[in-house]
Amino acid sequence: MLKKISINKISELVAALMGKGLLLAPVKENSGYNFAEIKNPSQVDLDFHNTIASPKAAFFPHKEDFIKYETGKPIDTASVVALNLPPTFLFGARPCDVKSFEIMDIHFNASGIIDPYWKQRREVTTIFGYAFDLEKPAQPEEFYQTLGIGAADPEGSDVFMVKKGEDLLLDSVTPKGEKIIAELKILNEGKAADKKYYDESIKKGKEYKTRNMCLEPAAITKKLEDLFHNTDFWMGVSSACLSCGICTFVCPTCYCFDICDDTLFGQGTRRRVWDACMFTDFTLEASGHNPRTQVYQRLRQKINHKYSYHVRKYGVISCVGCGRCTKHCPVNIDIYSIIEAAMKA
Amino acid sequence: MINKNPYVPAPVEITKIIDEVDTHDIKTFRLAFLNKDDEAGFKYLPGQFAELSIYGKGESPIGIASSPTQTGYIEFTVQRAGAVVPGLVTSALHDLDEGAKIGIRGPLGNSWPIEFLEKKNIVVVGGGFAFTTLRSLTNYMLHDDNRKRFGEITVIYGARTPGLLLYKDELAAWEKREDIKSIITVDKGDEAWRGREGFVPNVCKEVAPSPKNSVAVICGPPVMIKFTLPVFFELGFSKENILTSLEMRMKCGVGKCGRCNVGYKYVCSDGPVFSLAELDNLPRDF
Repeated sequence: MLKKISINKISELVAALMGKGLLLAPVKENSGYNFAEIKNPSQVDLDFHNTIASPKAAFFPHKEDFIKYETGKPIDTASVVALNLPPTFLFGARPCDVKSFEIMDIHFNASGIIDPYWKQRREVTTIFGYAFDLEKPAQPEEFYQTLGIGAADPEGSDVFMVKKGEDLLLDSVTPKGEKIIAELKILNEGKAADKKYYDESIKKGKEYKTRNMCLEPAAITKKLEDLFHNTDFWMGVSSACLSCGICTFVCPTCYCFDICDDTLFGQGTRRRVWDACMFTDFTLEASGHNPRTQVYQRLRQKINHKYSYHVRKYGVISCVGCGRCTKHCPVNIDIYSIIEAAMKA
Repeated sequence: MINKNPYVPAPVEITKIIDEVDTHDIKTFRLAFLNKDDEAGFKYLPGQFAELSIYGKGESPIGIASSPTQTGYIEFTVQRAGAVVPGLVTSALHDLDEGAKIGIRGPLGNSWPIEFLEKKNIVVVGGGFAFTTLRSLTNYMLHDDNRKRFGEITVIYGARTPGLLLYKDELAAWEKREDIKSIITVDKGDEAWRGREGFVPNVCKEVAPSPKNSVAVICGPPVMIKFTLPVFFELGFSKENILTSLEMRMKCGVGKCGRCNVGYKYVCSDGPVFSLAELDNLPRDF
């Protein structure tokens, strides 16, 4: 059921979605684009390549409150924070980022323990994926082709969108997506030529050039296991690292979190917040023991987690090649180059 | 726990506090659930742990020191941390009195592999404060319902001084039993000490437990582990038959927060119990 709408009418589509729930979409900020809750339809700007931060915060917000309490009061007076999530629309997520949600699903639902926050946020959200502009070249940091992800892969989205000149084509991928685009009366029926363009775009997306190397998950896993105790290698690739952690915060597949108690004037909240394995106190134990005091040990942990441990544990590489970590690293550490060097080492 | 929010602690009351050692920095806390449903849901085995939770301070992962054969309560032996890093939760816990209420999340992690241990001779080796889940295991095996499921039981437990031995009453009771060989040692005795003196690795060498159909379960400070393992290798114990329990910094306790991994294993959900054979397949990152 292909639909279309003129891009200059996008704010009407946005307004229709806002009428149905909460809308998260790319907004232009001072230093680039980011996903934000839309308050005014004119905020939405689809003229972006990709956002600074990944859209993972839609399901894994920077702060998630678990419990509210009053300090000094009995524990049974504490209350669990109810989620009460409205229907949510994540509008304009790029295919590599949509892929990251599937990778995170495996983790948050693993070992018979389901993370209730991730699960509920996933359930209420309808994803409008958006193909990269195939007429424009990829950014130099990107390498999703290496991970087998196309620039126009609809899988994982509920509705997938492709730009065709001045029009936006929308097709449903899941029953949830089909229902929503059937309800959006503002959309017009797509023509046969539109359908042909849409299908060809998805095919062309598979060939879209980003940095690319041949990477077998089993091979890189083994290679990194063999390299683990090669301290020279890890010292070399991490020598410039500042342990700032920005790579983990912009990453769509980094999920490490801290659980902390925040109290002020007798009011307390227990919440989880994003954390980063690049920080020195991440593994500091109360005894004073810390297995990762050195920068190289922490960068080694991060690379191994994504390209070795995750493969061993869940069968997939935990990286989608979006290139954000490389782009935002203040000292130009490039995960792609590290993987390439590891394969050659 | 599948249908429950794994991050929400259940309320418990501290019904008894036992001051274990003469330095007064290790106490055993006996906890009773305030809600029957929470108590029914807390089914554990020796070797598992739980997150003890104090609102306003945080949570600490602590091994369960009682045995599931003891009903109506659970026990945790907690050291007041803080020599290097301020131990917020353990300090707050030590400052509480009987009757205080705290939270608990668990049981968490795997356990000592009871089925694997059945019909085998068990050699329990502990050092210092790291005896808590070994005490749980020993009491579990010694229970009337369970004793015949296991072969010979040998316990070798050491501390630096007599005053630093945990569970002194129980140790005395074990020494009187026929169905357990209990060897208690201290690095250095005092005037009142009538027992054995000597480091745990040396005592293991003297006792020389047979490796035949036997499993060694070893917990202790790194230096004790370092010198005890070669003794067991020499005696002929295979790496599959030497078990230990790891510690790493933890937060969630349910394999989600990404903090306690050693290689591809999360200590909280894949461990804390590992055989030496399993540890050989993991990087030395702990």
